[in-house]
Amino acid sequence: MTKLVFALAGACMFLATVPVWAHHSFAAEFDPQKPIKLTGTVTEMEWINPHSWIHIDVKGSDGKVTSWMVEGGSPNALLRRGFTKESLPAGAVIMIEGYQAKDGSNRANGRDITFADGRKLFLGSAGTGAPDEKTGEK
Amino acid sequence: MSNRFLASFCAAAAATVAFAFIASAPAAAQTTGSTALFAKEGAKTWTPPRTPDGVPDLQGVYTNSTQVPLERPKNVGAKEFYTREEAEALMKKAAETHEVVAPGTYGDVHYSMAQFGLEKGQSAIAESLRTSLIIGATGRVPDLLPEARTRQAARAAANKGHEFDGPENRGLAERCIIWGAEGPPMLPIGYNSNLQIVQGKGYVAIMQEMIHDVRIIPTDGRTHVASSVHELLGDAVGHWEGDTLVVDTTNFTDRTAFRGSGEDLHVVERFTKVDPNTVRYQFTVEAPHTWAEPWSAEIPMTKIDGPIFEYACHEGNYGMPNNLSGARAEEKKLAEKK
Repeated sequence: MTKLVFALAGACMFLATVPVWAHHSFAAEFDPQKPIKLTGTVTEMEWINPHSWIHIDVKGSDGKVTSWMVEGGSPNALLRRGFTKESLPAGAVIMIEGYQAKDGSNRANGRDITFADGRKLFLGSAGTGAPDEKTGEK
Repeated sequence: MSNRFLASFCAAAAATVAFAFIASAPAAAQTTGSTALFAKEGAKTWTPPRTPDGVPDLQGVYTNSTQVPLERPKNVGAKEFYTREEAEALMKKAAETHEVVAPGTYGDVHYSMAQFGLEKGQSAIAESLRTSLIIGATGRVPDLLPEARTRQAARAAANKGHEFDGPENRGLAERCIIWGAEGPPMLPIGYNSNLQIVQGKGYVAIMQEMIHDVRIIPTDGRTHVASSVHELLGDAVGHWEGDTLVVDTTNFTDRTAFRGSGEDLHVVERFTKVDPNTVRYQFTVEAPHTWAEPWSAEIPMTKIDGPIFEYACHEGNYGMPNNLSGARAEEKKLAEKK
């Protein structure tokens, strides 16, 4: 048996199917006319499904602190790569670009999340840090 | 804000992924490795080990994630398999395709899939050179019968204007009740497309990560439950034919409506372990009030390290109250304009 293995740098698979987020009506939850940019300190990350949620405290220019919750993706793939519930500790400073909830509450869809130094959260644009998910060649 | 590429389809994170393709053409009589996926029925293949009660051991954690679409692109015609070169070229083209998403549109309202490792290319994929999961001359789902179209239209009409009245008006997946791809038949899903097979005396259990549901399939020869009983996953009974587990499922509700079908859906699945790392999964579906003829598909499953991580869905479903709250806010806004 010959098995050819290709590691395709920068490759991605585009499947012409229904978008994976069709199950979740983001359109109902967040407002594309309400873009937001937040910088805040992590107070808690909920490593839950169907979506993870990052809670941050945001200090306004007036010094007042408000709490926001920011929606992310299912954590299962991260957990398989060796990330843990301690991987985003309280106190970390992160920056969020996204869209605010339609009902005006302090909730946002975290489209881009970075640390203060510009590094993207978790995997960013390339597998970083934690071990890769492996196929089970036994 | 500048335009941004839809990161969910083209993240560089896929550098970590290896795509494995078989080297031989589908008709080859090779009997080792996953080329056995394409061996003719009845040809001598690898024999799986047995469980303590003497049936083939299919157990393990698998992914059925694949680059193969369910339906064959129309321009491919009757061809069921690509050559390795063709498949590589297609993948390369897909990697170079970038969808531009404009800010301020609903397409931009999404978290970055790549950051969470949820891009298809960031996880293991089961190999296949098929042009479509659906087998046969067209590789496509048959057209819906007129009565099925009528059923679909009636369902849509009943919900029109009520899409956000309450949780019951939302889809079953949004309510965290069941995922469409669970079936049966079991289809690949965009991420976390994993399942685990566990066997016990007289039973085979299949847990699908999305969404943490277990199909418990008795193999003790019992018949289906009464026709008045309807279940979201249907009622499954299994038996062994040589090294193949055959699962027959009926008694569906009309709520999962697989590809437009309803209570008339009948699914037959066949699971065969063809090498230490591969299960060949085939299914045939028929629904006399939906399609004029049955149709079949074949999806490879490849072993992964696992574990399956619990996808507890309802417990964390902030989305449901958030969606309804958003809908109420929109209604209020519209009312205030009047």
